[in-house]
Order: sequence, then structure tokens, then C-alpha cells
Amino acid sequence: MSILSIRDLKVNYHTQDGTVRAVDGVSLDLDESQRLGLIGESGCGKTTLLKAIVQVLPRNGHIVSGEIKFKGMDLLKLPPAEMRQLRWREIATIPQASMDSLNPVQRVGSQLMKLLRVRGGYTKKAARKRAVDLFDVVGLDTERLMHYPHEFSGGMKQRAVIAMALALEPSLLIADEPVTALDVIVQHQILEVLRRLERELNLTVMLITHDISVVAQVCDSVSVMYAGRIVEEAKAEPFFASPAHPYSLGLQQAFPNLASPRDVLVSIEGYPPDLREPPAGCRFAERCPFVQETCHEIDPQLEVVGDGRMAACLRSNEMDDLRARAEDPTLWQNVEVTRLVGQPPTKSTDAGRGEPLGRPTITTHDEQADQPLADPCNVPLAVGNGRADLLLEMNDVSKRFKIGGGLAGLLRGDKEQTVYAVNNISFTLRRGESLGLAGESGCGKSTTGKLLVKLIDASDGQIVFDGADLSSVDDKELLGFRSRVQLMFQNPFEALNPRFTLYRSLTEPLIIHGWKDENERLQRVVETLDRVNLRPAEVFLDKYPHQLSGGQLQRVVLARALVLHPDFLVADEPVSMLDVSVRAGILNTTRRLARELGLATVYISHDLSLLQYTCDRIAIMYLGEIVEIGPSNEVINKPQHPYTQALIAAVPVPDPTIENPPLRIREGVPRPTEQFIGCPFAQRCPEVMEACLNVRPPFIADEQGHQAQCHLYGEHHNSPKLHREAEAAR
Amino acid sequence: MSRGVAYYILGRFLQSVMVLWIIVTLLFLLFRLAPSNPLASYIDTTFTKQQEAALLARFGLDKPLGEQYIIYLVNLLKLDLGDTFSYSGKTVLDILGADLPNTIYLTLTSLLLAYAVGVLGGIVMAAMRGSMIERVGTTFTLMTRAAPQFWVGMLLLTFFAFQWKLLPSSGIGPPMVRYRWETEWDKLMSPVFWRHMILPTFTLALYLHGLPLLLMRSNMLEVLDQDYVTMSRLAGYSEWRVMIQTAARNAMLPVLTALTLGIGYSIGGNVVIEHVFSWPGLGRTLVRAVQQADYPLAQGAFFLIAVIIVFMNFIADILYSLLDPRVGASAQAQVS
Amino acid sequence: MQQEASARGEPAGVATMQFRQGSAIRQLWETNLEVFQRDRMALFGLCIFAVFAIVAIFAPQIAPNNPLTPLKNNEGDWIKDAMPYWLAEPGEDEAEGYTNTFLLGTTNIGRDIYSQLIHGSRSALLVGFSAAAAVAVIGTVVGLLAGYYGGWVDAILMRAADVAFGIPFIPFIIVVSAFLDPSIWNVVVAMAVLLWRDTGRVIRSQVLVIKEQAFVSAARVSGASNLRIIFVYIAPSILPLSFLYGSFAIAWAILTEASVSFLGFSDPETISWGFMLQDAFNSLALSREAFYWIVPPGLCIMLTVMAGFFIGRGYEEVLFPRLRRM
Repeated sequence: MSILSIRDLKVNYHTQDGTVRAVDGVSLDLDESQRLGLIGESGCGKTTLLKAIVQVLPRNGHIVSGEIKFKGMDLLKLPPAEMRQLRWREIATIPQASMDSLNPVQRVGSQLMKLLRVRGGYTKKAARKRAVDLFDVVGLDTERLMHYPHEFSGGMKQRAVIAMALALEPSLLIADEPVTALDVIVQHQILEVLRRLERELNLTVMLITHDISVVAQVCDSVSVMYAGRIVEEAKAEPFFASPAHPYSLGLQQAFPNLASPRDVLVSIEGYPPDLREPPAGCRFAERCPFVQETCHEIDPQLEVVGDGRMAACLRSNEMDDLRARAEDPTLWQNVEVTRLVGQPPTKSTDAGRGEPLGRPTITTHDEQADQPLADPCNVPLAVGNGRADLLLEMNDVSKRFKIGGGLAGLLRGDKEQTVYAVNNISFTLRRGESLGLAGESGCGKSTTGKLLVKLIDASDGQIVFDGADLSSVDDKELLGFRSRVQLMFQNPFEALNPRFTLYRSLTEPLIIHGWKDENERLQRVVETLDRVNLRPAEVFLDKYPHQLSGGQLQRVVLARALVLHPDFLVADEPVSMLDVSVRAGILNTTRRLARELGLATVYISHDLSLLQYTCDRIAIMYLGEIVEIGPSNEVINKPQHPYTQALIAAVPVPDPTIENPPLRIREGVPRPTEQFIGCPFAQRCPEVMEACLNVRPPFIADEQGHQAQCHLYGEHHNSPKLHREAEAAR
Repeated sequence: MSRGVAYYILGRFLQSVMVLWIIVTLLFLLFRLAPSNPLASYIDTTFTKQQEAALLARFGLDKPLGEQYIIYLVNLLKLDLGDTFSYSGKTVLDILGADLPNTIYLTLTSLLLAYAVGVLGGIVMAAMRGSMIERVGTTFTLMTRAAPQFWVGMLLLTFFAFQWKLLPSSGIGPPMVRYRWETEWDKLMSPVFWRHMILPTFTLALYLHGLPLLLMRSNMLEVLDQDYVTMSRLAGYSEWRVMIQTAARNAMLPVLTALTLGIGYSIGGNVVIEHVFSWPGLGRTLVRAVQQADYPLAQGAFFLIAVIIVFMNFIADILYSLLDPRVGASAQAQVS
Repeated sequence: MQQEASARGEPAGVATMQFRQGSAIRQLWETNLEVFQRDRMALFGLCIFAVFAIVAIFAPQIAPNNPLTPLKNNEGDWIKDAMPYWLAEPGEDEAEGYTNTFLLGTTNIGRDIYSQLIHGSRSALLVGFSAAAAVAVIGTVVGLLAGYYGGWVDAILMRAADVAFGIPFIPFIIVVSAFLDPSIWNVVVAMAVLLWRDTGRVIRSQVLVIKEQAFVSAARVSGASNLRIIFVYIAPSILPLSFLYGSFAIAWAILTEASVSFLGFSDPETISWGFMLQDAFNSLALSREAFYWIVPPGLCIMLTVMAGFFIGRGYEEVLFPRLRRM
């Protein structure tokens, strides 16, 4: 029986720049105890849909037409007071950014109990008992009821919000990006809680996310949303086995999969159309590699394409053929979108792509295509193995921060604390080599990145770049170093000065490094933009950052990093802020350019599958230390350190047939304010032994250079296990 | 947690003491190093050299500057603010002690009135964002903040005291009863006193209500955008609960701090109102002391006002750390 | 879009170079322009200032009489307490032996109120703008240094701000004016010494935010010097904030100058609106209900102060669309 039924829903936002048709004719059915995953990239209308269902649209948002029926009641005709009663008792919502959904000045327990008493009619005593139960259910310590939200970690806050959502036993739970922005281990634990609750309470769930692997893990059916419409609807297993819409096809191939890695990830170039003036034809046509003339004219409707599956594509009858063609990643790269944000789309078709718009191509696609190497994990290095090609060496480098100290701190009464952000890490990097740094947030990987580019100085140890010790460079040498080392940032929207044109941003490094001639500078800037696939470069020169999409901006950031032709690039979470559909494009371009320019690269990411895709070697960091390092494939497929094993096990697999194994470690990295005599991971380690607490584990290496810092493989491997004690220590 | 708060309070207290010490030192330097001799107006041309020297000795002005500074600090700690020049036989402390309660009555009554009106008005303005009423309301409030207090006071005086003769024009009571009240309690119990309070209180409150109103309005707008407010809407709480219990409660915190700060600054800033209504308070005494070159009195009044301001700034910080659990834990927050 | 597309095939070197440098000054100009284009009240405030500025510049030409000279009638007596001609009983002036052309009447010693009002705009604007400039400049420099360099520089400057926050403002000006010769510049000096505190704190916290933004790190990684980062990257972003606080400082300065003059600590040879009100207050104009004397100076103060508020709010509107504070 259908519990929620939406028919042809249209929601508009009135803005200064026109009416945005955020949801444009969506129909959806949700059966009792169904778990639907609603997938889509940012701006596709999925959150608006949620807000329309519970009717908390912002002031400028209006439901134009359509019908929302919940258990037979027409929600749009319900008086506001009754709708209000329905919220949370019947439809509970875990909002996006649920981290900030708790009132910061009220204890979490009071908020939960207030909800139970005011909305659920519980007595004070019953509310207290129920609150304790709920905290138990979501795996929170009941002492935490007395704590304020700021004393909770991100994962704990998420659990608390889930507890609140379940408080009144709703018949429908809508969760908007419930695990986004959480560390992979926490994410795994939260998904486990959700999965358990689904089973135990027989919940009906609508899960909104951009992450198809989350859907694969939690949901039994899938709807794909694109530009205000639903473009595909299917049960989870057939969906993941054989998507029936080109967009889903692209999404699936854009997603890195640790279990069965692809040689090449697909990037769906461009970005969704402007919803103020949606195109007359198919909304995906502009980015679709299979586009035909008719796609621009006929608006495809959601139609049945097989056993209970629906798709909105004019070519759905040829889908098997298209699916086969889609396996070729170069197909997806031939789509070029140079449109700026807020401009009408340009028409292009499959047939016309060979000679794009009649302009002389500067470089042919074959040369420039972001084709990966045959096996990205075993890159034969172009250079030899001698010390001559050694570019960078980290020798026992540490970074400590003192906080709350000084006269001001003393006067404020802050106690001085030392944060050991990076502890005695050592590694080397050869020219042209790429290294990935992975770990949970707070593990020191970003600090390492800053040390590598000398944004901060090391407290101890030595960083040698091309033979020069970075701690003893003079100003002139430092300027030289600055021209050879660059940093790429996580958030492209912040990485460029909003007040500068792109040309100004790109030319700054050249000015600083004494390029006097304006024409030469312009030439270099245009050439670099071209290299990062922003073509034609001239279009972008006088634009401001807000005129570009996230993917385009990140290419500009890459261009700025490369404009001086450096030897070494540090990329800190280069794609984590971007939509999945364009991530691969950035990675492919970076990888291609690194090869062309002989660039050594350090990628910093929490996402192991991404590092596996881009890096020759991977280093796993925990509490400021490297606990394991080695060739990517080795580390991913034969993880040695229990922490690495946990990290890999926690990565959700975009395949509903594979369920992630339960983790044996708890979430939550301890504060890096103490130093350990033994292994830093001992507190959380499932394999902890007596020696781990007192003896520093050594690095054990195998012949491939795969090293792990763990007693399991050393002389202490027979040390007594400490399960009980470790449990108690928590 | 509570230990963190205790540390914070102690630290803030030490900081306030240091700030006060610097202010006191600046005050000392200002009065000693001023171009004119502090006794210039006191010393008659008929004074002989001996008389002058005796006078200098009496006020300790014959000693070296360093020694004077030490004596000055010690006297301040003993709350010995010296003798006045202009009120014979009275110490500075006597005069200020009589003035301070009057200033406090006026300030507190006006502030409470202003903040009650301001907070409610701010909530209403935020709820009616974009409406005509909001535009008229905020413009009126801006006008009350832009109009000089003394001018508003003069206009009110002209109407209520002179034209319609409804209310008294100056002082805290008719001249013959002014000093009749034996105790502060008698004064507070006297309707005559309260009748004299009406005009100055209203004038001051009219000026003061702008800050809490505009602050409350912008805080409300900010808080209403927060995710936890959306959350309480999603949870099906009534609009009243969302606006008052969640939004207004959180938006109030900075306003309460502003109120605490306001007590300090109003006590120092009431000078003009006290002058217009001849209100025998600290501010009027300061103006008179400066006009009559009564330096010990001016210095004492300035010192007292500064102490009150620094103390209220301290209280405001403490209050905020107690009301907002996040502040006390700022040290921990920096770690993660 | 279409014209740009035509440049596609051309070699890069000959591409047009109009987009070369979005200079900091042009950026700033555009922000300022945006404030007055978007916010009609801010534009209104600007107009008020413009009108008063013209009045102030041409005060001697506009004012019919010398504001300080008591006027005498045909018999050589002072024309005391003349009513404005539009309020006076017809024929009264002839009986008193003068022609009543006084728009706002005369004071109790026979000075022309209207001329005083015209001349009063001079001190108001002079004090307002110079004090605001001093406050904005000092506050901006302090905020930039404290925020950018941190450490001891920050600790010292912010403790200095704490001290400034502990000093009562009006009493401080009164005490200072007592030691210095009476002059409208005392107010400017006292404001410059104390009121940078708010501007300094706000700009400091803004600098702390901008400093941590990725584009500043990017500049540093590219090798930009501290000075380049401060002046090319940070300053243009915070200057609108300085203008915001500067606009509010104009308002506070005008109000403060009026208060200090009213209390009698200004130069009696310089006419200001506050001085006029003091004159009226002390000569018991209130009990005579001489509204023509009391109302106009107060209205002028209110108008100019509101002009400062309006402009300040216009900046707030543009800088912090959500947080409108006062």
C-alpha cells in the first residue's frame, strides 16, 4: 500500500533574477516499509521536494500545482494546524546539515524530552525513560543526555538527531544527506544504525543523497532526480546492475569503487541547466554523450522500460547498446560545456561533436584527452630509481601547535595545551610520482600538506626539497621554492579572490615572480587555461569566480597552481566539494597534466577509492603519524595495519549485493593533545596487545616497499591480547 | 567544565583589574601633566608663596611625580578620593556618595523600560520583516537614536513642564524638600521623587530603546535562518514556540549582554540628560566640577564612572559565558 | 557571448586586454556605487550630506547676517527676542524700530538665529567628517595589524582596545576640553583617541576570517609578500567595512559635538547647533516656548546624524545582507 504518493508536483522559487522551477513535475510513490533512495546532484531539487512534502518551504518557495497524498490525506489541502500535528508524529525528518540542527544553548536531553512532552504528550517521567531508551537505541551513552551539542562529535550529533527523529515513532522517515560530511568510519556506523533500525522498526524511509553507494547500502529502490525531474526509477539491484538512463550510467561510472576499481572514471562534463528557463527538450541533452537532434526538441517523459522500471529517455529502447558504448570513457569527454552559470545552454548533438562548432581546434582531443594510463596503480615511472630523481624528503618531521597560551591566554584563563598535529613522519617523493595521504579528519594530513608547501614551518625534523633544507632557505631561495611548489584547495569557491577576474587571479603568481611583459603573461595564462580544458580560454579571462560552476572553478584553481609550471603539487581534497558527476574530470585532468609536466603530486583525501584511482603510493595517517605506506594496490588490497583495514572496510560499496562488514572499531579520534608511549591506535585497536600500550611499534616492510607500523608483524606479535582492558579503557 | 568557567572568570577579573589600573594611571597623568596647574583656580593672586606651598603640600603636589603616583594609588585603594575644592568641608566621596544613587535610579529605570520595549519591539519587527509597519517602526527608532537626547529633553520640558505645567522641570524634588529625605528608602517611597523621575526617565528610555530593538531584530533574523530553528519547525512545534521559545530565547543572549554593558555606559553617558533636568547625579557633578576647576572632584567622578564601566564589562563577559555554554568551552573548541 | 566566440580562433597574444587589472580602487568604487544604487535610503543620506555641505561651503553668502553680532534697531538698541517674521504680530517690528526679515527670529541678545543655523552646519560637518576619518583610519590600521600579525601585536592592540572600552566617552571629552583651549577639534581628538575601538575590533575579526581563506593561502604559496597580501588581498575586502564604521562615526561625532557644545565646553566664538541649543536653554527659551529657536538646530542635528545612519545601513545591507545591525 502506498504511504506517500506525489503526483506531478511543481515547486517554484521566486528570486530577484526570475522564477526558478526547482521541482518541475515530479511523481513518486512510496510503499509501506519501502526504503527509497533519491539520488541527485546539488541543485536538482531533491531537498526542495522534501521541504514541499513537509511544507516548510522558505518564504519565496511556492507549490504551484500537483498533489501530495500521505496515507490518503491530501497534504496540500490540510489546514496548517493539522499539517503541523502530522510533522514528526507521522513524518519525521533528518534535515540536511543536521549537525547544526540541535539548539546550541540547550542540553541535548532537554531538547529530546521537550519534543516528547510537547509533541508526544509524554509525562515528564515517561519522557525521561523514553529519552534514555532512544539514546540506547542509537548507541549513545545515556550520560550524554546532560551534555550540550558542542560537547558532541559529529557522529554523536547525527545519532542524537536520529534519536529525535524516531522519538514519536513516525510512519515515514525522510533523511536528507544523513552521512555527508562525516568521516568514513562514522559514516559506516551511522549507516549501520539506520540499517538496524530499518529492520527492527520496519521503517519506511526516503533517503536523499548524492552518494550512490550510500543508497546501495541502505535502500531497496532508487529514484534518480535531475534538474527538477525524476529521470529514472527502479529497484536497487537492477538499477546498479544496469542503469536505464544515460545520466545514471554516467553517475555509476563516475563513482570510484574500491571493491572493483575502474581504470577510468567517467566525468559528466558541464552542469545542469538553468532552472529559470529549462530547455524545451531533454534536460540532460547538453551533457549527454548520446544526444540526438530530437533530444533538444522532445521532452522525454518517465515511461516504463521493463520489469517495474521507469526511465525518461528518448533512446531507452537502445539502452543495451548505449550501455555498452558508455563503457568507453573517452565518449564522455567529448562533451564540452563552456557555458557560464546563468547562460542559456548551447545546442550540440552526438553527430556534430566531431568538429565542434566549426572552430579550429587548438589541440586535438586525442592528444589532450584525459586518458588514464593502462594501469594507474602500477605506473612505470619515466625516471630511474637513483637519488638524482629524488624530489622531496621528509625526515622525522613534527608539527606542534600551542593553543591557549601566551599573555592573552593567561589572562583569559585558557590553559595552555599542545596539539601534536604531525609526529615524526618520514617519506620520500620522486619526480613525477604521486602519493596519497589518507585518514580521518584530525589525523594531520592537511597539516602535512601545509608543511610540504611551507605554509607553516615544521617544529622538528627536516624537509628537503630538491636538495635544499626548507628550514634554512633565505628569502630569495624561498621565492624560487614558491615558483616550484603549488597547492590546490578543497573549496574552489573560496580558493579564488572573489574580487579578482580570473585573469587577475591567474596572472598574480606571474607578477610575483617577475614576469614583466604583459603579453607573455597573457600568453601563459591562456595556454594554461587551455591545458586544464577551459576552452576557449578567452571566454574565461574577464569572468569573476561567481560566474563559474564548481567544476569550472576547480579547473581555474588547477590552472593557477600550474601557471608557473611547478615541479610539485599538493592537492588537498581537490574534489570533495564538487558534485560526483564532475569529480572524475578534475582528477583525470590533474593526472594527465602531472604526467605531461613531470609533476610530483601529493593528494590529500579522506576518500581511499579516490586515492587508489590517482596515486602510485598511499600513506595512511592516524593521530599525526603514518601508520602504513606502500604502493596503492598493495595498501588497498592487502592492508596490514588494523586501522587501514578498518578504513577500507568502512568505505560503502556502490553495489547493493555487497553489504559492508561490521566494523570492529569505534568512531571518534581522540584529541591529539597527548603523546603515546606505545602505539597511538592502541585505544581503538581491535587487536590490541600488551606491547601496544608500552612499546612503540616498528615499521615492518616487505620487498615492495609496503610498510606498516604495527606489532602484529613484529617481534611482539605474541604479546597477550587485551580485549577486555581496551573495552574498559573506553 | 565548571573549572573551565572558573578559570575564565578569574582570568577576566585579572584582565579587568589591569585595564582599570591603566585607566587610573592615564587619569593621573592627565591631571598632573596638564598644561595648567591643578590648583590654578584655587590659588588666589593674593596668596603668599608660603600659603601656596602649604596648599601644595596639603594636596601632596610638592612631592616628586613618582611618589605622588604611589600616594595616589594607595589612596584610591583606600577609597580616599581627597577633599573637594568647591564644596567646603566635604570629601569627594561624600559628594559622589550622594550622587551615585540618583544616577543609578535614573539609569536602571530607563534601561529596564527601554529593554522591555526594545526586545518586544525587535521580535515584532523581525516577525513583520518587509512590511510597512516594520519600515515605519525602524525609521522611528532610528530617529530616536539620531535626535540629541538633550534636545528631546528640552522639547518635552517645553511641553510638559512649561506649556502644560504637568510635570516638574528640574531636580529630584521641590527645592524646599530636596534634602528632607533622611534615607534613600524615604526618597524611593516618595511620590514627589517619582514625579520628578518621569521626564528624564522617558527621555533616556526613548533614546536607549533603539539599541535593543535593532539588535533584537537583527539577531532574530539571524537565528531564524539557523538550522535548529528549521528543525523545530520540522518537528511540528507551533509557530509561537518556534518564535519565542527557540528563536527569541537564543536571540536574547547578546541583548542581555548589551543591557549589562548599557548599565555601565549609561551611568557614564547620562551627563547630558542630568544636565538638562538638573538631576543631581554623577554626570552633573562631573560637569560642574570641571566648570569650577574642582579637580579632585572631577577626577573622583571620572574614576567612579570608569570603575562602574569596567565592572559592568566584566559582568557582561561572565554573564555571556554562563548563558552560552559554548563560550566557556572555547579553549576546547580550538583543539578540535 | 557571441562576440567573444569570434576571438576563439585567434592566437592568444592578440586577445583584447581590457580585462587586465581590476584595480583595488576600481573595485572599491564599484562597491560604493552598489551601496547607493541598491539602497535608496543610503542615497537619501548622501543627498542630505550634499545639501548641508553646499550650505556649509557657502555659509557666508547664504546667511543674511553675521551669526555672532547682536543686531541693533534704528535706535541703536539690540533687537532681542524677535519672533520670526511669519509668526510676529504685524506692525510690531515697526513699533520697535526695525524691519523684521528674520526667518527664525533672534536670540535673547539679538543674534540672527537663521544665520547661526547656516553657520552651524560648518562645525557639524567639519567635526563629523574629520572625526569619522580619524576613527576609520585608526580602526582600520589597528584591525589590519592586529588581525594579520596576531601574537604580541594583537595582544597589545586589543588590550589597548579594552582600555579604550573602559574609559567613559563623554566624561573623557569633558575632562580633555577642560585642559585644552576650547575648540571643536577637542571632540575630534577625543573621538580619535577612543572610538577606534569598535572599528578596530570588528575589522580585526574580519581580517582573521579573510586571512584564513584559501585565496590568501594561495597567494602566500605563490610567494606573495606580507605587504602584498595585506594591501592587494585583504585591505580591499575590508575597506567597505571601514566605510561602514566611518559612516556611523560621522553620526556619532556630530551627536557628540552637539552634546559637548550643549554642555558649554565648546569655543563660544564658533557657532554650532549644540551651542545654539545651549544658548537657548540657558536663556530660558524653554519657558518662553520659543520653538523657532529650539526646534531648527535639533532638527538639523537629527537630519545629519540620520544621514550617517542611512549610509552606514546601506553598507551593512551590501556587506551583510542578513545581519542588519546598528
